[in-house]
Amino acid sequence: MFSSPPRHACPPLDTRYQVETPEGIDLQLRPAGLIPRALAFAIDLAIRGLLLGLGYLLLALLGQFGMGLASILTFLLTWWYMVLFEVLNQGRSPGKQMMGLRVIHDDGTPIGWAASLTRNLLRFVDILPFAYALGILSCLCHSSFKRLGDIAAGTLVVYRDQPPAAPQLADAAPLRAPFAMSLNEQRALLGFAERAGQLSAPRRQELAAILAEPLQVPAAEAEQRINGIARGLLGPT
Amino acid sequence: MRLTDASVAIRPRSAWEAMDLGVLLARRHAGLLMASWALLTLPLFGLLCLLLWQYPGWAILLFWWLKPLYERLPLYILSHALFGATPSLKQAFKALPGLLKPQLLASLTWRRLSPTRSFDLPVLQLEGLAGKARNQRLTVLGQRDAGGASWLTLVGVHLEMALWIGLAALLYLLLPQQIELDWSWASLVDAASGKWLWLEHLSNLLYVLILIIWEPIYVACGFTLYLNRRTALEAWDIELVFRQLRQRLTGVAYAMLLGLGLLFAQLPNSVMAAEATGSSCPLPDPFGPQAERLLNQPLNSQAAQEQISLLLDQPPFEHKESVTRWRFAEEAEEPSEEDIQAWTELIEKLLKLAEGWSSASTLALIFEALLWAALLGLIAWLLWRYREWLATFAGRLQLPQRRPPPAPTQLFGLEVSPESLPDDIPSAVQQLWDEQPRAALGLLYRALLSHLLHQCRLALKSAHTEAEVLSLIEPLQHVELSRYSAELTRHWQNLAYGHRLPPAALKDQLCSQWRQLFGQEAHP
Repeated sequence: MFSSPPRHACPPLDTRYQVETPEGIDLQLRPAGLIPRALAFAIDLAIRGLLLGLGYLLLALLGQFGMGLASILTFLLTWWYMVLFEVLNQGRSPGKQMMGLRVIHDDGTPIGWAASLTRNLLRFVDILPFAYALGILSCLCHSSFKRLGDIAAGTLVVYRDQPPAAPQLADAAPLRAPFAMSLNEQRALLGFAERAGQLSAPRRQELAAILAEPLQVPAAEAEQRINGIARGLLGPT
Repeated sequence: MRLTDASVAIRPRSAWEAMDLGVLLARRHAGLLMASWALLTLPLFGLLCLLLWQYPGWAILLFWWLKPLYERLPLYILSHALFGATPSLKQAFKALPGLLKPQLLASLTWRRLSPTRSFDLPVLQLEGLAGKARNQRLTVLGQRDAGGASWLTLVGVHLEMALWIGLAALLYLLLPQQIELDWSWASLVDAASGKWLWLEHLSNLLYVLILIIWEPIYVACGFTLYLNRRTALEAWDIELVFRQLRQRLTGVAYAMLLGLGLLFAQLPNSVMAAEATGSSCPLPDPFGPQAERLLNQPLNSQAAQEQISLLLDQPPFEHKESVTRWRFAEEAEEPSEEDIQAWTELIEKLLKLAEGWSSASTLALIFEALLWAALLGLIAWLLWRYREWLATFAGRLQLPQRRPPPAPTQLFGLEVSPESLPDDIPSAVQQLWDEQPRAALGLLYRALLSHLLHQCRLALKSAHTEAEVLSLIEPLQHVELSRYSAELTRHWQNLAYGHRLPPAALKDQLCSQWRQLFGQEAHP
């Protein structure tokens, strides 16, 4: 059930899921694990329970005809609630919407009718033997946190990308970097300037001092210099 | 602790993602974690069962209450495994007594029911702080990801329950049917009699087994939440990249120094090489890029080309797929007699069925009426729904209505409305002719145009020229009128544009012809 490969062979553990499009573009998806998904399901369950309760109360007034309508309502809410929301609302049921999740195909494309129906019909396999025990175990054991329905339908529950807020950089005169940097290194410098507010002053100095020697400045001025380079990297805004 | 040795990708994550990373971390070391947990808890549970055989409820409560103690072992393993030094089972158990000491009482009393237990444990166990410093540290760390840790505990409680019930249900499903038939539910209710103690202990055991799966994950999730909080607070990811950058740059400097020394040592050689190669700009190849070259080495150009084309034939450069579809066969087989008979029987049966249905024709009628009503209702609704659209655009959809444009009141700057003309035109012309020949001829021409407009209903527009007016008269098939109009127009043009007076004899000729043409018609 669990696999534990030798440590040296495997790359650092990460929660990202890479998809390469035919055009050679790497999409970075972030599969969502058991806990946010369980909460999203709980929200959906509560909403459905509420709707069903209200529906029963109202339809009970109609007698036998109402009973028929109530069973239709139960059918719709049990089998079609998730499918309709997922297909028509960009892979988001209300619970997933609240938890910032959405369902997509394995290759990053929006979920369609076939996949959504499959994953929601197979929910009844996940429920076995009781209270989603199989689904929970499958979700914990899969590297992309898929339950059995997801594996069968080829779908993935991911975190939605929220639009990033405009970064607030520390004030400094823009400087040109004295050496060439890879994208990752440029991001780290920008991150240092952006996250200055979250770091304590001694920690900032400590971090900046690491780069004092390559920058050829005294350790005390390194922070200001890095902020300047970050401002230069950001360009005019 | 060296960040470069970390076996997880370090970057700031959301609390949910940090917990996901914990699941992955527990999964990677699952064997060790589950084995150590089982070795620690199963004997303890057995001991508790023996001691409290008569009180299974108390046994499981005590076991449950002591959970924070067992959690220190997986945390020890994870914290070492994170930086590559995964301990063996033996090492982990050797370290256990030392792990249990700090904060033992707090863990079992006021911190036992804390929802952020998993998140606080790394601070208590790994940081080794004491007293006020520890409380301050907990407060600082708990500012952001503590909410996530509470949710983790809440979901964890429910997961434990779900898995517990699931496992119990699985066991129940595996019971042979005969036992189930003989089952006396009443005896279960009578549990107080002590007959069913073993069943309660079995159910407790199931809970203990469930914890073997869930607790390492719970501890790992709390640990990664803690790591994530420290990554955000101390910018571990930035430190990691800065260190690599520093190593690269200073390393490059050393390499350059080394390379410079080598260069000086080999200077004569390199100068000779430069002379041998001569011009640095290669001459254009006379045979083109397809010619064979590099023939004096193992991999010549031809072999390279073959390898390249071989590579290009494979994915991802070449994408081949075979598609399987159903389609009609080329020739339809002759239907055999049996087939025909079967078909006729089937049709007869269908007909009989249809007769049977005729009794239900009333029902069908109702349905038909309902469907028609639905269709009509849909159409009515559509009309109502798009009524504004229809009102706006339907008018344009009709054929353009031919409405005769209002007759112009002026042509070539001349008044042509009947009101502006005298009643008896020829006599007015004759009066004017001698003194004002221009006005007289103008009046005549105006009268002609007015007649064409209002009596002949010619569609004259102010944009027409005199010649166009003449050509419009042609279709009227009135020879006299055409000739008269042509003559009058010619004289009028001569006078108006050429300033040549008409001959005097023209006066009577035009007027008499006018009377002949229009005289019998009473002038309005």
